[in-house]
Amino acid sequence: MTGPLVPFREIVLKVHSRCDLACDHCYIYEHADQSWRTRPKSISDEAISWAARRLAEHASEHTLESVSVILHGGEPLLAGPARLRRVCEELSSALNGIAELDLRIHTNGVQLSPRYLDLFDEFGVRVGISLDGDRAANDRHRLFADGRTSHPLVLRAVDLLRQDRYRHLNLGLLCTIDVRNDPAAVFDALVALDPPAVDFLLPHATWDEPPPRPDGSATAYADWLLAVFDRWTERGRPVPVRLFSSVLSTLSGGPSLTESLGLAPTDLVVIETDGQLEQVDSLKSAYDGAAATGFDVFRNTFDEVAAHPGVRARQLGLAGVSETCRTCPVVRSCGGGLYTHRYRTGDGFDNPSVYCDDLAALVRGVEERAAASLGSPAVAGPDALTAAELELNRHLLALLQDELGGHGHTGWDAAWELANEAERTERGAEALDEVLAGPYARTWLLDASRAAGSGDRGVTDRAARHLAASVAAASVRGRLGLTVPVPTEDGGGFFLPTLGEVRTGWRGPVLVRDTDEGLLVRPEDRGAGAERLIATGPADRPGWLPLRRVGGDGAPVLVLDDLDPRRDCFDGPVAARLTPAGVRTWDARLSAAWALLRAAVPGQAAEAARALTTVTPLVSGPTRAGRHGHGALGLGDEDGAGELALALLRGHRRATFRALAGVTDLYASDGAWEHRLPWGGPEAVPFSRLFAETFERVGAGLLEPRLLDGVPRALASIESAAELTVDGARVLARLRKETAGGARGASG
Amino acid sequence: MKTYETSPSFAVAKKSRVPLAKIDTQGAETTRKTGRVIGTSARRPVQSSTFSSAL
Repeated sequence: MTGPLVPFREIVLKVHSRCDLACDHCYIYEHADQSWRTRPKSISDEAISWAARRLAEHASEHTLESVSVILHGGEPLLAGPARLRRVCEELSSALNGIAELDLRIHTNGVQLSPRYLDLFDEFGVRVGISLDGDRAANDRHRLFADGRTSHPLVLRAVDLLRQDRYRHLNLGLLCTIDVRNDPAAVFDALVALDPPAVDFLLPHATWDEPPPRPDGSATAYADWLLAVFDRWTERGRPVPVRLFSSVLSTLSGGPSLTESLGLAPTDLVVIETDGQLEQVDSLKSAYDGAAATGFDVFRNTFDEVAAHPGVRARQLGLAGVSETCRTCPVVRSCGGGLYTHRYRTGDGFDNPSVYCDDLAALVRGVEERAAASLGSPAVAGPDALTAAELELNRHLLALLQDELGGHGHTGWDAAWELANEAERTERGAEALDEVLAGPYARTWLLDASRAAGSGDRGVTDRAARHLAASVAAASVRGRLGLTVPVPTEDGGGFFLPTLGEVRTGWRGPVLVRDTDEGLLVRPEDRGAGAERLIATGPADRPGWLPLRRVGGDGAPVLVLDDLDPRRDCFDGPVAARLTPAGVRTWDARLSAAWALLRAAVPGQAAEAARALTTVTPLVSGPTRAGRHGHGALGLGDEDGAGELALALLRGHRRATFRALAGVTDLYASDGAWEHRLPWGGPEAVPFSRLFAETFERVGAGLLEPRLLDGVPRALASIESAAELTVDGARVLARLRKETAGGARGASG
Repeated sequence: MKTYETSPSFAVAKKSRVPLAKIDTQGAETTRKTGRVIGTSARRPVQSSTFSSAL
């Protein structure tokens, strides 16, 4: 088993090994493992101290920001307030200054009283309670040994937690499913208690001991959970449900939120009352001793446990699930199910879950019900994509401020303050957005983001120059009248993004202010007498080189950007500033190509016209997209209008796919599976490449039908791939719609 | 002094526009949003428990 060691971030500390209830579905006492019989009832002082010490050393070695410790049992409240105080004190003291400590306790609630809650308030211990629903549901299993109900006592505990003085400690309710209970009644009973969160737990089972299925249905548990999902939706999702949140997250390409689902590596370890370090304790349902590692807190570090083969087996992601699961399209969401549920005597855990049919039906059922409400609006069309790209740039800028701001770099700080000032009016905010949405803004934002934290002063200098120039450009666009200090480039000028270049010959920072007559510019270290008025406009003037436009007359009007120093983001050199004749040539070439596009593929032409804002001539090579934001293309050396039209369309599709993948998750776990390109050689490619090339070919194939060869096969592969997210599926649906008209006759 | 013509449509963005200084840079949404382009992976939120037998 290879791969880096995954540090533990979640520690389950068994503070008491006995329970005051006798639930017949409990995995601790009623299932295969009976190790509780030989464990000390309460955790010892020595085990507490060593557990705290081991955790602190682990958090320190792995520089963990935060660790969660869940006090668990048996029934942890049976440890009593004095022992629990000792646990809280030792853990808080050991972690102090090393990592944030997130303390939790999970209880049956029977003993919960103000005496405990005052202690928990003192140490910030948050409390989760087990409750299986309404009284009838709860009484199926959660009974005292003499058969008495626990329900009124649990409700009393929940009431206590809902009081104002303890409300902040309330984590919510954990409900174990019994499919004989009415799902809506169970959900309503839980919601009536106003919990901040709820989760549903499949009863622990294995292939040796399958779960009860009273009506024989292979999807009884999925049906039950989907009925709860429907009730949850009908009631306006009044409370987060961890199981549903996890499925919704993975469907959208995000992480799983519970060890029961998903491919995320486990970062969980259990410390028993005798100090033994164990794997996740639901394994006790599999066989006697299944959770044991042979390690303990007295002699072993957490790293030793993290390297244990049993722990590593649950950290391997896709490689850690059965062969059947590896080729299943829902495996990213279900992750093969809880490890315990895969067990069968003879072949161990190398099986799908005993809940396999349920999990598949649950994931598909949630997807069917929620797909419309999931995902990014960016997939809807060019305007929404442009808006999402702008939001991404603004978030990158805000993150840069976190890294670079307030560290004594006056240039950055001043530019940031002026950006904030510009935003105070609607006109200013709109102007700043127009500049930050420029395709080449992404280039400097990404360069600076990747280099931030390196301590290189040059990174901050360059970022400050770009931000200042962007604010100055926004001031011009919005007529904001801001006075902006802008550092000059090496040549003694500066570029105003989306507008043009100011050339004064002055070196060092200049002050720039927009007026009705033009730009007033002077060196920062000289008085008003040194001010120079630079008349900006569409034509070259002394000290001013504007960005020019091409297009019109049926073609979109595009900025021909041959000035922005950040435009050099294509995999080939960009051309120097064009002569007026060069601009006219490009104007004519683009108009001719666009006329062809409008005639042959009017829908594609209209969409490209909405998305494209900027073109940048390149020295050589094909027309192509770069590593900038949406809306720009590098113009290559295609011969003739037909070739250029096709290249523009292909470039636009490639840029669009790249932009979509930058603002939403079209796929997840890219590279985990291998794919083949129907139009390529035998080598395997990742899903991202299959999807990107298909996206490009479908768009361009409407103009050049030979590109559609193999597309139906590619679409089928994409549809059945586990990597596809809900947004990916929306893009796929769009491709299918596009090919419905254009792909007739194409071979699969 | 209008020297520009092409500007993208921000009607969609305007509805939910948060000022730069108020963007929650520590939030999971920002991490996820920016992580796609600067290479940090989406993780489950800090301080959310995954242990199935507790919340």
